[in-house]
Amino acid sequence: MINFLLRRLFLLGTVLFGLSLLAFSLGYLFPGDPLQNFSGIRQLEPQLRAELTAAYRLDHSYLSQYLAFLNRLWHGDWGLSLASQQPLLSEIRQVLPATIELTSYALLVSFLFGVPLGILAAIKPEGYLGKIINTITVAGYSLPVFWWALLLIMVFSVGLGWFPSGGRLGVLYEIPTVSGFMLVDIFLAETPYQQVILLDALRHLALPTVVLATFPTTVMIRFVRDAMLEVWEQNYIKTAKAKGLSRLQVLYRHGLRNALLPVIRQIGLQFSALITLAMLTEVIFSWPGIGRWLLDSIYQRNFPAIQAGLMIISVLVITVNMLTEILHTFFNPLARKR
Amino acid sequence: MRKFRLYFEEQHRSPLAQLWREFARQHSALFGLALFSSFLLLSLVAPFITPHDPYLQADNLLLLPPSWSEQGLVQYPFGTDDLGRDLLSRLLKGTTFTFGLALVTVIGALLAGLALGALAGMSQGMKSSFFNHLLDLILTIPSLLLAIIIVAVLGPGLANTAWAVSLALLPQFVHGIRNAINEQLKKDYVTAYRLDGANNWQVLTRLIIPNIWEKIIVMSSMALSTAILDIAALGFLSLGAQAPIPEWGAMISDSLDLIYLAPASVAIPGLLIFAAVLSVNLVGDGLKTAMQRRRES
Repeated sequence: MINFLLRRLFLLGTVLFGLSLLAFSLGYLFPGDPLQNFSGIRQLEPQLRAELTAAYRLDHSYLSQYLAFLNRLWHGDWGLSLASQQPLLSEIRQVLPATIELTSYALLVSFLFGVPLGILAAIKPEGYLGKIINTITVAGYSLPVFWWALLLIMVFSVGLGWFPSGGRLGVLYEIPTVSGFMLVDIFLAETPYQQVILLDALRHLALPTVVLATFPTTVMIRFVRDAMLEVWEQNYIKTAKAKGLSRLQVLYRHGLRNALLPVIRQIGLQFSALITLAMLTEVIFSWPGIGRWLLDSIYQRNFPAIQAGLMIISVLVITVNMLTEILHTFFNPLARKR
Repeated sequence: MRKFRLYFEEQHRSPLAQLWREFARQHSALFGLALFSSFLLLSLVAPFITPHDPYLQADNLLLLPPSWSEQGLVQYPFGTDDLGRDLLSRLLKGTTFTFGLALVTVIGALLAGLALGALAGMSQGMKSSFFNHLLDLILTIPSLLLAIIIVAVLGPGLANTAWAVSLALLPQFVHGIRNAINEQLKKDYVTAYRLDGANNWQVLTRLIIPNIWEKIIVMSSMALSTAILDIAALGFLSLGAQAPIPEWGAMISDSLDLIYLAPASVAIPGLLIFAAVLSVNLVGDGLKTAMQRRRES
């Protein structure tokens, strides 16, 4: 196990190194002045330019520029946003929780629906139920997320008026930002209207969560179904059946525990797709998350922000990937041998 | 064909025939194949069969509703957009841009991935482990994010979208092909062939590629559905195809502000993207199931 952890840590180090190299080279790859791309300061007076060139070591070799870049990253000096001239790190801190909130709810939904439906589909794969679930998953798999979001908005917010079409909270309410997670902040806020506000926040959450959860749920259903079908063929299941256990007992004691283990790893693999879909979902539902922020930065040609956004999102994805893989290995002794 | 058999004969079909037999047994896969072929045909012949010029702006026929509504005209089955361009012609033309371009990017990525994957799969030791780590890095970055970053560097446009999407698809191909090759290299028949004096190139071209091409096709079908969705998504975000080009995703974003007036102009392109991706997924799924069943039989 320790050997495994060390290897993973080494891999994490290499990947982060490569990522920082990529982010650094983007400063030169993006059109425009590298100094501006690194610092994000719009008006560079000659004196400031000389100072920054010295600080960023732009007159030295690429290696020492890169080391200076790493040093700045480490000390939290990520440069300014070209658009707003605010420090990038604090901007990201404002938008990142919204994305994490949305994606984690979507993941939760995909779990709550994906696992039981997958098991149901695996009970009789050729039966009606199995076929219906299969058809739905193939359809859900192929839906373009932006179109799906627009359809749901057309039906549920424009047509029926059940849910709002965008935003995180109605403009009537004001919740002080403490953690950045809306539901947590509502619980922390001391207002007499807590329940009303909570209901409003949940109504704002409903459509984006459904849209974002569609893809991971279908993937989860297929994954659980395939895993269940595979486990169901194993010899220990036959042994358990031969011992006289009922179907439910076999399912619970032997089937589920073995089939659901790889699901932990699936979370990590899903996360990267989820972040991409979240970017599109956030744009459509005007959800103030990092995806919309990043896309806005691209429209504004805000290169320092693109660079920082790429780094933050990739680090997030890599960390979640690593964590789930370590968890999976921790729970599954068979995976440790490899 | 003889009517009766006198002697008991075992029939051996070629692997390809077996695969087709298993594939044709699945209705959904056949349906997907039919849909896929029609999209393929459309993307080739679309410029010749459009009833109107997809860029022609008829200013007396702005925002014509579809022909099934009372105000519609039968010459314009899906109506016209806010500049008076025929929607059906634009959709037909768009097949070339969304579906055809996705196909081209996947083929490009596949060829490059085959070369790199073979290089990585056949080499061992330090070189291959370095390659692995590099791939692990790129695979962690979501493909659409990678495409967006590439578009941000190159600038928006249809050609750049194609580059971005195929570059973003490349790591998956390299990873998958390398793993498939590694799996085959461990088999005994490869060792036997090597003992006969075959070099790396012969092993690769005569043994490994014929044995993994089905896997490669399944991989390509998954990549194709990603490519269609990514091209459409980039078009929707107006980072891909630019204004007059009737790419389906760009068409949705163009008519987004008319969604109340002309919901069909948002619904139909989306439906086509959905159908295109669905056909690819059905074919890919069918192939996967057919391969599995053939192995079991």
